[in-house]
Amino acid sequence: MKEGFRQAMAWLHTWTGLVFGWLLFAIFLTGTLAYFKDEINHWMQPEIPSRPLDAAASLTLAQTYLQQRAPDAPSWQITLPDARDPGISVSWQQAPARPGERGRFTEKILDAQTGAEVPVRKSFGGEFFYRFHFQLQMPYPWGRWLATSAAMVMFIALITGIITHKKIFKDFFTFRPRKGQRSWLDGHNAVGVLVLPFHLMITYSSLVIFMAMVMPASLLVSYGSDRSAFYDEVFPEAPTPERAGIPATLPAMAPLLARASEQLGGGNVARVTVINPGDANASVQVARASSDRITYEYGNDVTFNGVSGQILDATPAKPLPMAIAGSFYGLHIGHFAGPVLRWLYFICGLAGTAMIGTGLVIWLGKRQLKHAKTGVMPFELRLVEVLNIASMAGLIGAVAAFFWANRLLPLSLDGRANWEVNTFFIAWTLSLVHALLRPGRKAWVEQLTLAALLFTTVPLLNALTTAHHLGVTLAQKDWALAGFDLTCLAAGLLLAWAAWKMQRAAHTVRVEKTRRETTRPITLEQGTR
Amino acid sequence: MLLALLLCYVGFTALCLSMPRHHDELLGRKPSSRRVRNLKLAGWLLLCLSLWAAVAAKDWGFGLVDWFAVSMFSALLLVLLMPYRPKLALSLAALSLLAAPVAAWAWW
Repeated sequence: MKEGFRQAMAWLHTWTGLVFGWLLFAIFLTGTLAYFKDEINHWMQPEIPSRPLDAAASLTLAQTYLQQRAPDAPSWQITLPDARDPGISVSWQQAPARPGERGRFTEKILDAQTGAEVPVRKSFGGEFFYRFHFQLQMPYPWGRWLATSAAMVMFIALITGIITHKKIFKDFFTFRPRKGQRSWLDGHNAVGVLVLPFHLMITYSSLVIFMAMVMPASLLVSYGSDRSAFYDEVFPEAPTPERAGIPATLPAMAPLLARASEQLGGGNVARVTVINPGDANASVQVARASSDRITYEYGNDVTFNGVSGQILDATPAKPLPMAIAGSFYGLHIGHFAGPVLRWLYFICGLAGTAMIGTGLVIWLGKRQLKHAKTGVMPFELRLVEVLNIASMAGLIGAVAAFFWANRLLPLSLDGRANWEVNTFFIAWTLSLVHALLRPGRKAWVEQLTLAALLFTTVPLLNALTTAHHLGVTLAQKDWALAGFDLTCLAAGLLLAWAAWKMQRAAHTVRVEKTRRETTRPITLEQGTR
Repeated sequence: MLLALLLCYVGFTALCLSMPRHHDELLGRKPSSRRVRNLKLAGWLLLCLSLWAAVAAKDWGFGLVDWFAVSMFSALLLVLLMPYRPKLALSLAALSLLAAPVAAWAWW
């Protein structure tokens, strides 16, 4: 009975893992990259200079700019620079030309020291990976649904994986390389078990983030179809004071920062929103940075009357269940992580990606063994092989192509940001075509080699196309830019190593095949007792 | 975070050595049952100590997150190093053990 149960779980683990594995690999890899979203943004828009941080001075610069450029806009949004995102972002929406229409939305990036507009290249930057990670480049809400379904399947695969794994503690420290299938299984178990707390946290929290979408039953019962009533109650918004129609100059907002910080328990300020600037009833909403605490809270802010400076509203403390949900949200996105912890997050994410990748390789490897003698693979195995190659090696190459496009596409190109994304998908599609045309092992080696080449040359490409090469960025201690180049270089070397191993493994397989006929057959479960 | 990392790495190495198979791989002989017990005890103690170090450096929330991160990282590092560079894996543990008091002293 017990063995039957374990076998059933193994079956579930195998098939859920296969069907959603390719998608989950992409979700995990892009999600891992999204931990360095701001750093990737910085590299992809190197025009924005890094300056010493001074929130009050930045806010003053932003206010001066907006008072000159958009004095009549109904609202302003100011995002202050922080350690990871060096520019001041200001945006405003013009009053609509005709009532009922949407006003034109403008966003500009300002130099944090001079307040001058920075001409930046159009790029989605790391935002692309972040969005793709849960929207999968599909129209709303289909991508979110698919990504959340994948998360649900991931959770099933994790739990069935734990049940299937017989010797979690006995094999806790076990990794035996150079043993073919055995090594893949060891590696799959090692990255699975050793990083299990992360896997469980990340998968469960992704379900918590979309719980209102995935499990709306209790909402529907209490609120019926009136979803917004629920959100109004959970996230109460201070009623925005009506426009008085009396012009009044908005006093300097910088002093409000210290007062807001005091109200927010000493937190840093990330965003300032001004409603009706230039009106006697102007209100200023000062929002806390999400990097302050583990718990992620939507709309943790203080609202002031812009003219008198009187506090109109502050977000009350959240009830415990919301704090718990917020903690899972915060743990998932890791905004609070400093540089060291962020790297550890990144490594854990890579481990998760590797777990999915090794799982896919094992699925195919086990079944390929049966057909090793004849050398002819049935259609379904060939399909899995092609998808494995394109979804792993191809995706990694496409990420590199995305970075290359950022540096090579002309700055004046129409829809430049979209063309970067198109390059990513074109590269990914080409990898699929290539995998279809070439024999499996060769396709792996060639795609890994290409990806390795693209990644290792990123620092060189950067040096040739911008003035922010490693010599400059290391001297200036701009760790985001230098770190990006160095990480690409390291990733490229790792991929080159993987390509080399793959090439050599192909060699030994061929040698072994001829030897196997004369000596005793090597069984898969050799190392186990 | 450094102190927690050092203690975690030594702790996991001790726990790993407490398993006869790994003791044999790394040191070339099977351990006595007394040694197994001592290594186990030392390993768990060091892990507890590292948790304390992580929490004491910040608070429970950040401390626990830090501890989970460094424990996962140190275990992964140990397991990946062992088959390829067993000597390095052991020397790192010895070095961590020596550096831990220094890190603790610098932090106080």
